[in-house]
Amino acid sequence: MSAAPDIDMSPNTDSGRAIVHLDGVTKRFGAVTAVDALDMRIGAGEFITFLGPSGCGKSTTLRMLGGFETPTQGRVVIDGEDVTPLPPNRRDVNMVFQDYALFPHMSVARNIAFGLELKGRTRAEIARQSDDLMDFLQLSALRDRMPDQLSGGQRQRVALARALAPDPKLLLLDEPLGALDAKLRGQVQVELKQIQKRTGKTFFFVTHDQEEALTMSDRIVVMNAGRVEQDGTPEDLYFRPRSRFVAEFIGETNLIEGRVKGAENGSVVIDWNGLDLRGAAPGAVPAAGSPITASLRLESLVCHPAAPAEGDALPGRVVSKLFKGSRTTLDIRVGDHDGAVLRAYMDAGAAERIAEDRVWVTWDISRLAVLQD
Amino acid sequence: MTRHTRILMSVIYWAFIVYLFVPLVLMVMMGFKDSKFIGFPIRGWTLEWYTGIFQDAEILGVFGYSMAIAIASTVLSLSIGTWVACFLGPHKFRGKLIVFALTCLPAVVPGIISAISLRIFARGLEIEPGMLAIILGHTVHNVPFVALVVMARLSTLPPSHIEAARDLGADAIVAFFRVTLPYLVPALVGAGVFCMLLSFDDFVRSFFLGSYEPTLPVLIFAMLRSGMSPEINAISAVVLVLTAILGLWAERSMRRLNKGS
Amino acid sequence: MAQSDSKLAGVERAGASGNGRSFWGRLLTSDLYQAVSAVLFKTQRRRFWLLASFPLFWVVFAHLGPILRMFWISFLDSYPPTAGTVPQLTLANWGKFFEDAIFVMPYFRTLGFAFVLTLSTLILTYPVAYFLAKHVRRNRQMLFLLILLIPFWVGEIVRTYAIMILLGNNGAVNLILKFLGLIDRPIPFMYTSFSLGIGIIYLTSLYMLLPLYSALEKIPNTYLEAAADLGAGSWTRFWRVTLPLSKEGIASGCTLVFLISTGYYATPVLLGGPSTTVFAETIAGFFHVAGDQWPVGAAFASIMLITTLTAAAIFLKIMGRSGKGMME
Repeated sequence: MSAAPDIDMSPNTDSGRAIVHLDGVTKRFGAVTAVDALDMRIGAGEFITFLGPSGCGKSTTLRMLGGFETPTQGRVVIDGEDVTPLPPNRRDVNMVFQDYALFPHMSVARNIAFGLELKGRTRAEIARQSDDLMDFLQLSALRDRMPDQLSGGQRQRVALARALAPDPKLLLLDEPLGALDAKLRGQVQVELKQIQKRTGKTFFFVTHDQEEALTMSDRIVVMNAGRVEQDGTPEDLYFRPRSRFVAEFIGETNLIEGRVKGAENGSVVIDWNGLDLRGAAPGAVPAAGSPITASLRLESLVCHPAAPAEGDALPGRVVSKLFKGSRTTLDIRVGDHDGAVLRAYMDAGAAERIAEDRVWVTWDISRLAVLQD
Repeated sequence: MTRHTRILMSVIYWAFIVYLFVPLVLMVMMGFKDSKFIGFPIRGWTLEWYTGIFQDAEILGVFGYSMAIAIASTVLSLSIGTWVACFLGPHKFRGKLIVFALTCLPAVVPGIISAISLRIFARGLEIEPGMLAIILGHTVHNVPFVALVVMARLSTLPPSHIEAARDLGADAIVAFFRVTLPYLVPALVGAGVFCMLLSFDDFVRSFFLGSYEPTLPVLIFAMLRSGMSPEINAISAVVLVLTAILGLWAERSMRRLNKGS
Repeated sequence: MAQSDSKLAGVERAGASGNGRSFWGRLLTSDLYQAVSAVLFKTQRRRFWLLASFPLFWVVFAHLGPILRMFWISFLDSYPPTAGTVPQLTLANWGKFFEDAIFVMPYFRTLGFAFVLTLSTLILTYPVAYFLAKHVRRNRQMLFLLILLIPFWVGEIVRTYAIMILLGNNGAVNLILKFLGLIDRPIPFMYTSFSLGIGIIYLTSLYMLLPLYSALEKIPNTYLEAAADLGAGSWTRFWRVTLPLSKEGIASGCTLVFLISTGYYATPVLLGGPSTTVFAETIAGFFHVAGDQWPVGAAFASIMLITTLTAAAIFLKIMGRSGKGMME
């Protein structure tokens, strides 16, 4: 990727300054509440991702920022200005659409120039800025192509260039990688993140793909049924999910449903089907005997062919083995109870050597995360 | 289907083609007959009738008059029909079905009744029979076709295209002219040619709404009432060829434009 | 569009200062345009009505207006109004229809004619549409359809004239029959219901063909194969699968042909004779003579409009209902 163009794109990673405030924003469609009293602050230069299943309200939030929907209640403030009643054309916000929405009758260059043209810039200015942008996004060779002569990845870059051209304060991306094939998607994820870093723009990204969200974001907001489930860094969400929904939506996990047996300085012991499981509990722990749920990621479990010298190891038996190429998924039954099955990853070579009727399981205590509901 | 029915059907198809084309071919042929008398057999051939009509100032005048009416009513129908479609297509409101039915109404009213009612209507508006009345009549008749064709095209325009234009700073009017209208071009070309043909070939409305100055179909009708003549054949043949060329061109360009987007 | 005048004025003013900027950019940034659009597009409701006002006006005024006006005139005792008199309301114009066989006969003849012609057109074009949709390779269907379309772009009068040449006493058909030695003297085809029927089918068959084609083309071939697989013979397949599934096409094709064929005026005048006078000619008669016959013509036209639209509605309803019945 060539150097970032100098036009209005000086890296601005001053994430201390908020560029967007959502203030009790609610959107109802008839009897359905799509977004429910959302309060949110987005820092300038952040790459923030709204993640959730379809219908969770993430797209509605994006459309309210873009001006395509008016909130039923609440305020949308962008860079200190209350834009709640303003239509899309009166906001310094641009969008990359899910289907890219490139104008089919305009060349790549004309598409990119469109926003600048409507802002009343002179032709020389438009030419200079869009040339810089096409250089930056490696589109110069395609400038006279029509959208139907472009590949999926190229279209995505043109859509990005077109949205960046008017120098928006906030860039909205509505599942822009959904139309790309899996191989290309990984590459584009890296590119997008780099572009965001170099331009210093605030990216508001919406997706239902947890992998996309984890790879690119500075911050992820998981939404469900119009409400925020959790708001944090990718690592937070992955290893310290707060709710069952987040734990299950992101990655694969073992849900441990048991009762509190005891707690001591920052750790908790959970009684799970008669077995004692020790985990980290940074916050308050419910009283002994009350029900508790915890999440334990597959890769936080380690399988041993022989009993390890120290630590809590649970002996078990492999009930099923799924070969997945680089690694193998093992379902291991620990204890006597039918429900006491833990799923773990193992290096495929090591898994072959393991004796199926006799394994020991240990786990990273700090990674056994207690869920708050 | 058995082989026999298959063959039978292809025979019916080609017989149908023959039924459609033979009368027209005969008509064109008869225009080359070296005799004032219409009928078979043809013994001598001449170009006299065809060259004659191109030197006949009256016929050329009538041709120009019909053409002017066709162009004017087409421009009006396209503008009005597009406006109606842009209102009716994307918007949901109470009574939409009634407005849609009203939009289609002129297309289902039998020709003679349409002509009569427009005659009475023009009289009520104190529009004298003549060019203006015919243009109005043809426009009313053509708007439903334009509206339907444009609505069909409009329904395939992804809403995100308009949203993208709005997002990049266009208001509703600019978005219409910069995004919607270019997208509608194939439909407008098709509907426009269709309107031209409908107007140019229309008899019943032109007949009842016209004054003493006839349009081409009205002229042919009047000439026919006083007897067939090779001159009529020549005029009809020219109309036929022009119509076919225009129709084929529209068909071709519509398909090419449709492919382009 | 309604405010195009003020819009253009704004552009010209902005144009003087904004050299080298695009038309739309100058327009959007001009003060006048912004002021005007701020007023015009202030609320959603206002935008809706700006867009809606002209289409609503047009369809009510220009589409419905003439029909309503015609109904109104049919109840007046004189029209166009003569100076100094006020037209009175009357039912006499409608009553006149029932008074004389001269009026009633063409009415029933027209309806009967339209019915028979619709049926004939259906039977004639169904195999053509079926052949096109099912036996022509898909990439060539458009070409085959195009060949059929060409004659239909030509107008009513020209095609009617072509039929006159075909069927005249010295026409092509008589020539061939004479040449084959089948007849000595020409058969007088012209000015009969036969010539009129041939002419009207010639004019209307496309309106049947296109809906039939698009309905048949939508039937997946797998349905027919499934029926054959279940042991249905070709006739059973046709009656039980193809025909019911093409019902929608039949319904709209028949409705169109019926409505259109009742509305022809020039064709019956040119191809028909005294024995085939249709109602369109009767109605037109009241408008040719000067004087106060318009209200009677308007009443007769109203009778015909009500009859044809009612018939079409009933027909569509029957087709719709039985279509649903078959699905169950």
